[in-house]
Amino acid sequence: MTNAVTTPSAEDQLSSLLDMEKMTLSSKMRAAQGRSELWMRYLGFPGGIVAFLLLYYLTPDAGLGASAQAGIACFALALVWWVTEPFPTYVTSLVLMFLLLVTRTAGAKAIMDVLGMEVIWLNLLAFILSGMLVKTRLAKRMALGLVLRFGHTAGWALFAFLVLQMLLAPLIPATAARCVMTLPLMLVVAAIYGSTEETPNAFGKNLMLLNLVCISVLSSMTMTGSSANLIAVGLIETMGGHRVYYIDWVRLGAPIALVTVAITMILGRKLLFRIPEDEQLPRIKGGLDVVRRKYDEMGPLSIGEKKALAIFGLVLVLWMTDIFHMRWFGVEISAPFAALLGAVIALFPRWGVLQWSEADIPWHLLIFSAGAYAGGLALDDTGAAEWAVRKLFGGLALDKLPFGVVFTLIMAVMMYSHLLTTSKTVRTMIMIPIIITLSKTLGWDPLSLALPAALCIDWVVGLPISGKPNVILFSTNQYSVGDNFKYGMTTCTIGLILLVLSAATWFHWLGITPSFWAVAK
Amino acid sequence: MRKLALLALSLCFAQFAGAVEISSYDVTVRVAEDGFGKGVATVRLENAAPGPVAIPLGFTDVANVQLAAGPEGTTLSASPLNGHTLVGITLPEGTPGAVEVGFTFSAAKLFGDGDEQKPLPRGNKLLRLTCLNSQPMPIANYSARVVFPDGMRAHAIREALPKLGKSEAGPRVQLSAVDSKPGARIHVDRLLQGQSASMQIELVDDARSPGWLIAGLVLSVLYLVYFRDLVSPRAE
Repeated sequence: MTNAVTTPSAEDQLSSLLDMEKMTLSSKMRAAQGRSELWMRYLGFPGGIVAFLLLYYLTPDAGLGASAQAGIACFALALVWWVTEPFPTYVTSLVLMFLLLVTRTAGAKAIMDVLGMEVIWLNLLAFILSGMLVKTRLAKRMALGLVLRFGHTAGWALFAFLVLQMLLAPLIPATAARCVMTLPLMLVVAAIYGSTEETPNAFGKNLMLLNLVCISVLSSMTMTGSSANLIAVGLIETMGGHRVYYIDWVRLGAPIALVTVAITMILGRKLLFRIPEDEQLPRIKGGLDVVRRKYDEMGPLSIGEKKALAIFGLVLVLWMTDIFHMRWFGVEISAPFAALLGAVIALFPRWGVLQWSEADIPWHLLIFSAGAYAGGLALDDTGAAEWAVRKLFGGLALDKLPFGVVFTLIMAVMMYSHLLTTSKTVRTMIMIPIIITLSKTLGWDPLSLALPAALCIDWVVGLPISGKPNVILFSTNQYSVGDNFKYGMTTCTIGLILLVLSAATWFHWLGITPSFWAVAK
Repeated sequence: MRKLALLALSLCFAQFAGAVEISSYDVTVRVAEDGFGKGVATVRLENAAPGPVAIPLGFTDVANVQLAAGPEGTTLSASPLNGHTLVGITLPEGTPGAVEVGFTFSAAKLFGDGDEQKPLPRGNKLLRLTCLNSQPMPIANYSARVVFPDGMRAHAIREALPKLGKSEAGPRVQLSAVDSKPGARIHVDRLLQGQSASMQIELVDDARSPGWLIAGLVLSVLYLVYFRDLVSPRAE
């Protein structure tokens, strides 16, 4: 690092970047970036309506109910509006909720109940816990420490988060919990590299989206990475007749997940959202010397920081030990309730560390999430998602094709089908039995297709509504729906290519898949 | 009453003999707009012996039960039982152990009323099909298909029972084309005594109202006119 002369303005600049208490997640609409985006906004409104009308009035398919068709039409309208942003995203969510009701896609209770969903509560509590870390300056201390140790360049800072998420993945199965835990760190590190909600830059996009990908994709390293993985294992055993052991899953899933996130990280900063030279280093005059001075100035841990650390430690322990809760307490304290306990202690009069007014809860983002989930659930409940998956498989004439071709097509459907549903469990329950039945019909061992397909369950990275961490990270306003789609689809495509290459090589050597060009008898 | 007593007797006979099994049971009903339906059922019995066998059919108001396929000399009867219908099949002497019997029937009152708390919109209908296995023998493979009335399509599946077990692949009820017409099917593997296979489907007119088209086009035009300043050169 260069020994640049430190000036008071550099110190002020860093102080202002790290003054997270002054940063609130604004409900203002993101400013359009250039003329093309203005046109996109202008045409997005009628574009969404045209998408709705086309799908609503399309000649119905016998397998599709009228409510499911209306649900697809409503969702398409919202998707076009979320991407083109003629309105703020939360207004689109409110429109979607109203449309779901008046088209009789979902009932009023089902739509309203979404605000009480686990993911919304976790989102709300995440902001309280983040507020606690920010107010006590623990987030600042951890971020400064992280930057000092790994943040010499943007590449190393990103790599540090990849390693952090890789270490957390096997310990904390709840993806949303992992996201909540690391969110304050992401925000502060992004700020040090000059990316804030008001002035997001390429580093901020890379940081948030890499974390999103790592949190979801690295869950596929182990079969206990998510409950949906375990459901898939159960289905493979009961329907496919194969027992899948922990190590079977790890030796297939871990290499693919790790190589994919590593490639995505490199592609992200070199190609997708290229980080310019001036964003490669912390955006502070005086460089890391100033950061070190600020870190030293913080002195030893304050009482408030120690309390915050203890509260966060308690929540973390509860998240990590959820499988023992029944034995210990006679009740399972799920991830939102563990966070709720942390919030109660943090907000406790006198002994706590936070006032309610100091917790910056962005209600507009919770409304966005609620609308998005209402739309996604309507697709699941009306059978629209299932119909789409059946259509996708039904449209593929897989008879007498070589195994490699069948494998590629099935993995592609499995990988990209997460765009159709917001629930990993629902997708698993729909897709895995179909794949097992299809394998048997085509004459292939169910394990050869179902187990690799199960590795794709956690790859829910395409849209801000595809998973809980996606919703939480989108709330930072550091990237758009389009950015998420681009990054997520690139990740899925890299994963798909790696899966296909693996099927031709080491899956075959491990005895999981037949020869790539084999044809079923 | 006499028929019912005979059927009850046959039930006891079947239970103690423990022989007859229903390996598959397929029902297809074509529903008309007035709620009447014409159905065809095919039952495959294993370990069958000459004599009466009672088969649950499931509709409340059944008439015109007629043999369509089966050993010569087979006779049929239909009797109501607690809101359902039992079809009595009497197999003739010399019936082989495995036998397939087909029959046609007509059923009325296939449309139910909407829930009091959730009334149906005007013009919509609730199609109900329930088969309660009131007999001791399990039905190994039960499948029923309905063809919707002309000009109607499913709005939503309102009920699908029994709920799927953990190892069962779904869905229990699926909308699909039946004989190239919109319809639905329910499938249950092993329908046990006392268990019901049931589906309720809300039907709507298959023509969409033009209201959304008009509203959508009007809103689009208004937006393009009143928000054109977004892309005017001054906006830059």
